[in-house]
Amino acid sequence: MAYGLFLGCLIPNRYPGIEWSTRFILGRNQLNVPLVDVEEFACCPVPGIFYSADKDTWLALAARNLVVAQDQGIEVLTLCNGCYMSLHKAAETLQDSKKRSEVNKVLRGVGKRYTGEELPGDGRVKQYRPVQVKHLVEVLANDVGIERIEDKVTTPLSDFRVAVHYGCHYLRPSTTHTIENPNRPHLVDDLVRACGATSVEYDEKLACCGAGGGVRSHVKELADSMTADKMKSIQEAGADVIVTACPFCLLQFDTAQLTLPGINTPVVHISNLIALAMGADPLFLGFDLHNVSVNPILRKLRRRATA
Amino acid sequence: MSGETEETFIGGQKTLVVEEKVVLDKEYDPEFVAEIVKYGGRDVKTCHQCGNCTGVCPYSLKTLYKTRNIIKMCQLGLKSLVLQTPWLCATCYRCYEHCPEDINAAEVMIALRHIAVRDGFIPDFIKRVTVNVLQYGQSVAPAREVEVLREQLELGPLSYAKPKYVKSINEVQYIIRAMGYDKLVHVKIERSKDKGAEKGEDKGADNSVDKGEDKGADNGTEKGADKGGD
Repeated sequence: MAYGLFLGCLIPNRYPGIEWSTRFILGRNQLNVPLVDVEEFACCPVPGIFYSADKDTWLALAARNLVVAQDQGIEVLTLCNGCYMSLHKAAETLQDSKKRSEVNKVLRGVGKRYTGEELPGDGRVKQYRPVQVKHLVEVLANDVGIERIEDKVTTPLSDFRVAVHYGCHYLRPSTTHTIENPNRPHLVDDLVRACGATSVEYDEKLACCGAGGGVRSHVKELADSMTADKMKSIQEAGADVIVTACPFCLLQFDTAQLTLPGINTPVVHISNLIALAMGADPLFLGFDLHNVSVNPILRKLRRRATA
Repeated sequence: MSGETEETFIGGQKTLVVEEKVVLDKEYDPEFVAEIVKYGGRDVKTCHQCGNCTGVCPYSLKTLYKTRNIIKMCQLGLKSLVLQTPWLCATCYRCYEHCPEDINAAEVMIALRHIAVRDGFIPDFIKRVTVNVLQYGQSVAPAREVEVLREQLELGPLSYAKPKYVKSINEVQYIIRAMGYDKLVHVKIERSKDKGAEKGEDKGADNSVDKGEDKGADNGTEKGADKGGD
């Protein structure tokens, strides 16, 4: 089944390099994963806002996105932990028939109806399952497979020391999230190793970046001080780049470091890292828009190319 | 640390409330626990104050607001005191993973936010992001600098700039209005009609809160602040 690319809000509007990288690594010449561009997708909607203030509105808006995917017969591919959590949780919530009919009452006004994805059957009884929502990491690691990624790596990032940051909503809550064990995740580390890089261990690796749940918008200093704690242990571990699975965590690491004198470790999305390893020209990865310069790791690459 | 905590926790009432268990009449709301359940929280009365949630909470470890104490305040029905606390939950759900009573403190915090919003405590960022969603169908306002780069990367225009996207924005607006969300968070909707792409400029006038200067500021912050509004 093809994947509908759900870019969300932050990637197209702040870090377009993630979109470019994803299209590159999933493209025909690389991993050849069928992608569909879906114009009708809107905000997931952002859980820190809509899920905080009114769950019913959150569910209706998320259901609208799910119906778009359902009607096109595609799975939703998210590149962001927030989108993943919002849509995945909504699809699970809509399994409840009462909730579903309430939402459908509203969706009728826009000519939509959520049923879930219809399963092939004998034609007499229709069977449905939730619209499938997947995170880029699980698609890469489980559906595509680590070996196929390793095969496509042309520029092993062998001298990169990577601090992996998973981000909360990739892992938790484990009621609805089933990608991997929230206490011992390893898929992003596996992907980093597939790129030839070293994933370093550091204290509080699974801790929050500080931004989630609206805290970044509400009390920015506090969110930044949380990031400062993480940055300290990342520095102690001697990492030269932070790799996240989520653009919002990326934004937080990328902006909070501006407030931390003497600390500037580049932050990239996992798709950026894989694109680099697959030989993409760094000019296309949109690093110009990052606040913390990515040049130190690019210099490493260049030095190797000329050596 | 602990002495300081007792001084400042929720208006200096920690010793009074949590330890001496004195609850003032004017602060006591017998319906509070039921209200939390109504908005999707578990019954906080089953919390036996083990403190696991607090030990794993990133913000409890950093601030004077401890998850366990907030749950205790909820048990005691101290609605007015609880609603005054800032929204410090990152919804990381670590508390949930460690709770022996399956309370899911993060969802309790979400329920508390629901109650706060209905009581008129609506943080500005909620309005700002809602305005963005109404305007662009997305929570982050576009930035010129990024649009230029998108052209260079041949990524195509942003959704809001495509004429067909007006239909999607209208659907989003319809849903928000049908759910009464605009009234709930005090944001005005103005129909975007067919000319969806009158971007940039005076968005503030369209779907407005008090004053919308730095809408981008939320998720986009630094960049949004100078690019989003010009």
